[in-house]
Amino acid sequence: MTAGSPLADIDGKARRSRPYRLAGPSWIIPVLLFLGFFFVIPLGANILRSLQSGQATTNGPLFYYVKLLTDAYYGGVIVETLKVAAISTVLCLIVGYPVAYFMVRFAGRWNAVIVFLLIAPLLTSIIMRTFGWRVLLARRGLLTTQLFEWGLIPRPLNLADEPFAVYLGLVHVLAPFMILSITAVLQKVDVRLEESARVLGASALGTFFRITLPLSLDGIATGCILVFVVTCGSFLTMLLLGGGKITTLSLLIYQQFNVTQDVGFAAAMGNTLLFIGLICLALQARFLRRTGVKS
Amino acid sequence: MTGMRAMRASPESVIGGFSIELPSVTRERCTLTTAVPLQLVGISKSFGSVQALRPMTQTIEGGEMLALLGPSGCGKTTTLRIIAGFETPDRGSVVIGTRDVTELPPNKRGLGMVFQSYSLFPHMTVGENVAFGLKMQGVSAAERTTRVREMLALVRLAQHEDRQIHQLSGGQQQRIALARALVTNPSTLLLDEPLGALDKNLRERMQFELREIQQRLGITSILVTHDQEEALTMSHRVAVMSEGQVVQVGRPTDIYERPRNRFVAEFLGTANIVGGTVTGQTSERCWQVALTGEPGASTSVQSDVPLAAGSAILLAVRPERIEIGPVVAGTMRAQVQDVVFRGSYFAYELRAPGQDVPFFVHSQSRKDIPPDGMVGLGWRPDNAIILEDTP
Amino acid sequence: MTAAGLALPVRRRRRVRYGVIALAFYVLLFLGFIAAPIVSVVAVSFSTASFIAFPIPGFTLRWYWRIIEYKPFVDALIVSGEVAVLSTIFGTLLGVPAALALARSRATAAAIVSNFLLAPVTVPAIVLGLSLLYFLSSLSLGISFTALLIAHTVAGIPYIVRTVLSVYRAIPPDLEEAAAILGASRWQTLVHTTLPLVRPGVFAGGLFAILTSLDNLPLSFFFGSAKTNTLPVVMLSYMENQFDPSIAAVSTVQMLIAIVVLLIADRVYGIEKLTS
Repeated sequence: MTAGSPLADIDGKARRSRPYRLAGPSWIIPVLLFLGFFFVIPLGANILRSLQSGQATTNGPLFYYVKLLTDAYYGGVIVETLKVAAISTVLCLIVGYPVAYFMVRFAGRWNAVIVFLLIAPLLTSIIMRTFGWRVLLARRGLLTTQLFEWGLIPRPLNLADEPFAVYLGLVHVLAPFMILSITAVLQKVDVRLEESARVLGASALGTFFRITLPLSLDGIATGCILVFVVTCGSFLTMLLLGGGKITTLSLLIYQQFNVTQDVGFAAAMGNTLLFIGLICLALQARFLRRTGVKS
Repeated sequence: MTGMRAMRASPESVIGGFSIELPSVTRERCTLTTAVPLQLVGISKSFGSVQALRPMTQTIEGGEMLALLGPSGCGKTTTLRIIAGFETPDRGSVVIGTRDVTELPPNKRGLGMVFQSYSLFPHMTVGENVAFGLKMQGVSAAERTTRVREMLALVRLAQHEDRQIHQLSGGQQQRIALARALVTNPSTLLLDEPLGALDKNLRERMQFELREIQQRLGITSILVTHDQEEALTMSHRVAVMSEGQVVQVGRPTDIYERPRNRFVAEFLGTANIVGGTVTGQTSERCWQVALTGEPGASTSVQSDVPLAAGSAILLAVRPERIEIGPVVAGTMRAQVQDVVFRGSYFAYELRAPGQDVPFFVHSQSRKDIPPDGMVGLGWRPDNAIILEDTP
Repeated sequence: MTAAGLALPVRRRRRVRYGVIALAFYVLLFLGFIAAPIVSVVAVSFSTASFIAFPIPGFTLRWYWRIIEYKPFVDALIVSGEVAVLSTIFGTLLGVPAALALARSRATAAAIVSNFLLAPVTVPAIVLGLSLLYFLSSLSLGISFTALLIAHTVAGIPYIVRTVLSVYRAIPPDLEEAAAILGASRWQTLVHTTLPLVRPGVFAGGLFAILTSLDNLPLSFFFGSAKTNTLPVVMLSYMENQFDPSIAAVSTVQMLIAIVVLLIADRVYGIEKLTS
């Protein structure tokens, strides 16, 4: 019986440490090159273009941005963009939270069916869905004729070129995302927490506001930021349902693109939009980190 | 399963309801593979600032099963992964037979391995799993089928060839993992806590089965485990590891009966530790030791190495070696706290004055305990193990 | 506890029940709200009237025939299909190896690179399209099928990387180690062990990339030309000029194609495995 043999103190040959790994770091290179070339550089060039072409060369690099922010019309468009995004976010939250709550607490085996029904519209193009709202809200559309028959509106109106229709369309497309973001977090809220609150005397509504809502805040935050960012970037709904009454930044870019020769200006508009999106992402990262959640 | 084979077991292990001690096993020469020795020469490994393995040199004889036994973090898994090739040691070499394989990737070392969670490929059938290694070697389909069937017969799962993995029980999966590892005729078999996921009865049966297969094939094997019973049952030699180094290596009986230090003594079974001071020599190999914590109590110990009078020593005595009797002046006494019937023996928990940890005694028969619970404890001098630690 | 005390819980429970029923009703209404536009479009596609009118005067398939007659529709459908499939294939070839390399790495650089690969999905498509158009024009790739393909590949990579990352992380590394010990070289391990197990992730991500690509207007809009118009672009310009139920028919056809793709994926693979 030997303790460690006398040879235990032998220092063997020194070696280079190489853990066995299947996928080496070199596998990342192709995609990095591709995205670097076709994603980073174009966006970077876009930023440069907004600072260096057209009137930015004569009037200073920040010319276009100043114009965007201070000009009454363009500034108004930016404000409108933020306003529409904020309203649609709030609407999605109000409309969607009860659905999410129902799915997690009461749906049971119907949960999978509801999830499917929420995701299924993704199989249709957004044009189809937006067109569908036109169909429902047009002067002789299904909804309009119904409302007329029920006496809710004085005469058949075209409801499809109003801000109301735009919000309807936005909520229709984005509420499922809000709902799924919330369910993901709500599922982790233990039912027993709610039950103990009830046992301790809280009312149903009180339990909701004091216990459930705060605990599902992560899901709400994720959903809100998602809806906000996507709304900022969308323009089809405004185009097809707004009747020209709602102009957001992306719609402006779309409309101006064929018209303007001012590449610098278009670039600046795009960058502003991008900037708004990045701020939202940063907010999301900051918020989730503070509440100690790894997204 | 053939009948009783001569096997090594700790005296605590139960076969048929009573403790038996069996003569040590004889190693068989195999017929299928030539037994290839494995050498670890000075291997060491650090991860960042943590030294997981201090320089280690061991030779595992051809056909022998060596168990690396120790608590988690002791370096046993690191050693196994270095042998397998998933980690390269910072220093040292792994030599299989006459080949230095340290720079070779895992797929070129000719090893077989059974993983802790079996790692059977979930997208393949049982037969495809077992045939995988042969397929990688380029063996023809016809030969693959024959050898797979042979191996499945060896682990007694011949009719499961076309089943899906998730349809098998834990024990069956374990045997398939073994069949998969052995079918390629590896020079060495590595076992990473192979029985951890099984329930107790199954585990005991598999211990014997694995051992039987290993000996029948005569394949050099390394077993990593934290279960001392598993190590003692299955292997020819046990290397007890702690904090990155081998503390003691030897045959199961040697490790159990003569642990070097407290760690080994307590890791393998229960050890009752008692401290004392050497008072004098009584005969050529016997010394008298005054026990601490109890003035007047003393015991004799045997030692081949002379003990200095007045030196403090630490003794360990196994629970089954202690006799409970009436209190005798000049010997150790203790108070009975509890007695539990364990099926094959009675376990007594006692508190001795001056000792902060309880003593455990295992007895075949129930002892008469006086009303005040005070009894005397005694053991033969050669059953007191002198530990290397300083008290 | 008095008898009155015993009565209260029963009453409260019944009130909650009404609340639940009301909520269920609301959910049902909401689902109807979700379905309504889609159902109406399908209904209108069969209408004999050449403008939107309810109730539907009569039943006809003439708008479906229009699809085949109106050449831009058919051409655009083919272009959309080609772009969707090809961009997903390229996205897979680029993204899967990277995802495999990044999934298990604990280096901070790995997390940064992973997030970078997921970034294109957070950039508004219209900005990406604009930037890519100008950039590719300067490379004289301008308005071409190649440019369209590049744009859609960039947009599709995040979906594939995301699902492969999560699927691969769930596979125990032991399996690949077992394959290696059994003699499989890195390539053999990849082919026989890793890829079969990662396939659900590739499928799910690829499916998502295809569906998103088919519907991607903001990106395709910038690269539009007679030969490179995708279906959404053609549909939009049609809508801006004429407004008849052809759009409804084309939309319905597009929806049917997507459903068929999903059904094929289910038959070949099994949807339950995709939704894991």
